[in-house]
Amino acid sequence: MSPRPQVAPRLRRVLALVPWILAHPGVTVTELAERFEVSEAELERDLELLPMCGLPPYTADRLIDVSIIDGEVEIRLAEYFERPLRLTPAEGIALLAAGRALLGVPGSDTDGPLATALERLEEALGARGGLAVDVGGSNHVDVLQDAAAAHEQVEIGYYSFARDEMSTRVIDPWRVFHAFGAWYVAAWCHRAEAERLFRVDRIRDLRLTGDHFDPASRPEDGGPGLVYSPSDDDPRVTLWLGPEAAWVVESHPIESVEPLRGGAHRIVMAISEPAWLERLLLTLGPDARVEGPPAFSELAAGAAARLRARYGIS
Amino acid sequence: MADRLERLLNLTATLLDTRRPLTLDELAERVEPRYPDDLVARRRQFERDKETLRELGIPIRVETVDGFGADQAYRIHADDYYLPDLGLTPPERAALHVAVTAVRLDGDAGREGLAKLGGLEGSGARATLAEVPVTPALAALFDAVRRRATVEFSYRDEDRTLDPFGVVLRFGHWYVVGHDRDRDAPRAFRIDRIDGDPVIGAAGAFTPPADVDPGEYVRADPMTYGEDQPVRAEVLVDAPRAGWVVEQLGEEAVIERRDDGAVVVALDVVNRAAFRTWVLELLDHAEVLGPADLRAEMIAWLDALAVSTGAPNSTRSKQ
Repeated sequence: MSPRPQVAPRLRRVLALVPWILAHPGVTVTELAERFEVSEAELERDLELLPMCGLPPYTADRLIDVSIIDGEVEIRLAEYFERPLRLTPAEGIALLAAGRALLGVPGSDTDGPLATALERLEEALGARGGLAVDVGGSNHVDVLQDAAAAHEQVEIGYYSFARDEMSTRVIDPWRVFHAFGAWYVAAWCHRAEAERLFRVDRIRDLRLTGDHFDPASRPEDGGPGLVYSPSDDDPRVTLWLGPEAAWVVESHPIESVEPLRGGAHRIVMAISEPAWLERLLLTLGPDARVEGPPAFSELAAGAAARLRARYGIS
Repeated sequence: MADRLERLLNLTATLLDTRRPLTLDELAERVEPRYPDDLVARRRQFERDKETLRELGIPIRVETVDGFGADQAYRIHADDYYLPDLGLTPPERAALHVAVTAVRLDGDAGREGLAKLGGLEGSGARATLAEVPVTPALAALFDAVRRRATVEFSYRDEDRTLDPFGVVLRFGHWYVVGHDRDRDAPRAFRIDRIDGDPVIGAAGAFTPPADVDPGEYVRADPMTYGEDQPVRAEVLVDAPRAGWVVEQLGEEAVIERRDDGAVVVALDVVNRAAFRTWVLELLDHAEVLGPADLRAEMIAWLDALAVSTGAPNSTRSKQ
């Protein structure tokens, strides 16, 4: 026997299913199963349950009447379930946030069915104008999306934040997506001869090459994800972090962390590029210190000296 | 288990259909399959059912009725329960299906909401286009926006009282924006930085301004958002990073373009720490030109870095 399904999800489904059937008499079991993401067998079990339900004293005229003829479903005597249950705040915000985010993507149809659906939804929730989603219209997003859809190679001038350098490279754009407040393109980089993730707002210029790549070369999972995974070759650095810098522990991949007195921490993290650590130390200032290895202990002072030179101090 | 589902459905139907609130004794006489005869077991079972219905968002009201003494009575008001007809067309339902599949949020709330609106229409989206974070307090604050309820919360160790006009996702974070009652000024707060659960007041406590645009409350850049005395900063940015900076700040921020491709940008700073971080992340491609005190602050920051690195207890001197 299959494991018994939980009561709550099934109850939730039945309360959504019944109003739909009442409004669409003759709807087929097949369509209902697809629409409500359930197998036909499970759907039939739901429908078999309904004739045992109704109002006291549960006489024939008080029980829900279900008929399935040639796979077409009709329900009677369930007026009290004729409308679905209201959306919970979490459901309302999930629908609105997803819809508004998609509508904010460059190139989307701001007068189309999604826009009107969201207006109706906001109206029903009494939240007209109460939610805004800004995914940032980064310059090259729509061109990259078209290129990804057409499997066209592009040449980009790219600023590497971690290495603080500009480079020109040809990429096969696999997938364009938005996450954590920025747009990314997952791609095959012909210069690195490897999968790479590029932040679209760091692409300075972009040129369609007219050459195409084989879509079959695109990985099933859409290519590299967002998480930096340290390799064994990356050097490790030990940092002392003051209480004001505790957020670093939360927002970067850390190999080990040791809480110290007064809200300070000692952490060990892998460093892929020295410029990245330089930037972190410059911005943290007195709230961070390198404890080792010695190769990194002069990094912040060196960077500070370079910047001081800009201000005419030697 | 089917018995329990049956009773939950019958209980919901009975509470929706009744014209007056019903006590547990009355429900026990009516609803099938029957609640236990033993009063303690009956109460326990009923409380469990009630909790399950509450978790699904079914709004059971508890009322006291004359003649029943301390006994409580229960019903579901139609207005609390029934979703108004949104009049969605099939293309609109299909568009919402695409949105819920293209934009990934934590949890199933989007799909559960779709089911109430008539389930999945069309084929949805194939790949994730965007990921949207979900913060625990978000739904409660959105509900406060909806119900026009004043909220109180602790933010960076300060108590705040806010009439919330909207929630905004920007820079990858959710903000709640509105009128800060104590400061009598518009404010935006990052929801994930609110300490603990916000306290939501009674509905209908305020009227938001007409045509309010919550997006405008979260200013274009985090560093222009803060409580410091406003100052207009001028920053020289070298050619390699100039394009990026202009894209970020907008063309109107540029006050000078130099022959070598460098730009001078002007920006209003009300958060000096965020400004400093922004300039330092440009490494040696940027220089604060003025005003003098802001430039001096940057130099002092760099001076401190040039001497205070190394092991915490090192006594070596530099320069």
